[in-house]
Amino acid sequence: MDKTTSNLTRIAFALVATAFCVAAQARDHVAEDKIAVAKAAIEHAEQAGAPEAAPVEMASARDKLARAEKANAKHDAKPAEAWADQANIDALVAEATASQVRSSKAANEFDASLRTLRQEASRPTQPAQ
Amino acid sequence: MNTKLIAGMSLALTMAACASVPLTNAALENARNAVRTAEADPNVSKYAALDLHTARTELDAAEAAAVARDERGIAQPAYLATQTAHLAQLKASTKANDARVAAGKADRDQIQLNARTNEVNGALLARDQAAQRADNATVARDQATQQTAALQAELDALKAKPTDRGLVLTLGDVLFDSGRAELNPGAYRNLDQLVQFLTLHAERRVEIDGYTDSVGTDSFNLDLSQRRADSVKSVLVSRGIDSARIASRGYGKDFGVASNADSGGRQLNRRVEIVIGGVDGAAVVSRSRS
Repeated sequence: MDKTTSNLTRIAFALVATAFCVAAQARDHVAEDKIAVAKAAIEHAEQAGAPEAAPVEMASARDKLARAEKANAKHDAKPAEAWADQANIDALVAEATASQVRSSKAANEFDASLRTLRQEASRPTQPAQ
Repeated sequence: MNTKLIAGMSLALTMAACASVPLTNAALENARNAVRTAEADPNVSKYAALDLHTARTELDAAEAAAVARDERGIAQPAYLATQTAHLAQLKASTKANDARVAAGKADRDQIQLNARTNEVNGALLARDQAAQRADNATVARDQATQQTAALQAELDALKAKPTDRGLVLTLGDVLFDSGRAELNPGAYRNLDQLVQFLTLHAERRVEIDGYTDSVGTDSFNLDLSQRRADSVKSVLVSRGIDSARIASRGYGKDFGVASNADSGGRQLNRRVEIVIGGVDGAAVVSRSRS
């Protein structure tokens, strides 16, 4: 009886330990996923011209990504996730800033060309002879 | 005992009060402002509703941490709320700009289409006007041709001959008795066509010229030729032709058309000529005696 009980206890202990290990690994995976997402966001923003349009946000995103990777290396899952989330949102803001600047410039140029066109159209045409 | 109770209650109240006052800090204030600003932007709810929702969710998490007085729990959601609210505004602004350009392109196409339509209409109008002018010119030419043809037919009926002075219609002396200026009754019939012509062509003036042969004195011949021309004029006037349009001249024996050596030639020389002026209404130029 005693032997059986101690065996059961051992099995239960092993199961609990395994569950802890799995949970810890799952946490690490979340951090790694978030780091990957932030990395992708930074690369995408770099290709979209964000370093010129929003250099501060881009630098912040890179710095936070580095912090996330550092924390992740130390298996500090929580801070790694937090830094990765911030790096990601900073990169998104940087890219959105670049897009906004571009669209604003294009819209203003278009407005100007439309004004010119309207002025030309409203000018009375020479009667054909 | 009472004192203990009161002290215990006040401690509990103080603790409750402390627990009920949420923490606040600059990060949370920033997040609130950012989300409030984004929510007030009509473009954000129109174009970036999902990001705005995310920002609101993060802000709620930050507020919850503040209520729980979890200072360390505020910073992360507050930062994410702030940045996501900015992201929503940037995306909304970009989409609003794109929409403005898209709408403007429709306007631009319409303006260009209108301009093109006006050009085409102008060209069509010019073409129509040119065609109309050509038509008018053709009509005018046809009318002129018809008038010329009609006039020619009338003049043919009068047996008029074109000369330098105008169209000349010759009435022979058989209309007059010898030495007399009164027209024979038969002459009236011959003048009918002339009267009709002058009635139809009210703008034309005429000169009636009398001529004789060389028999008799010059003064007699001049007088006779003048009286014969006057007789024809009075007939035309009696038929309703304005006397102002009619001049009459006697030229005597001058400007003979045949030899006075024989009776046949002399008969041809005794005559009245009616010179019909131009369509411009100018008076017929009289002949100058040589």
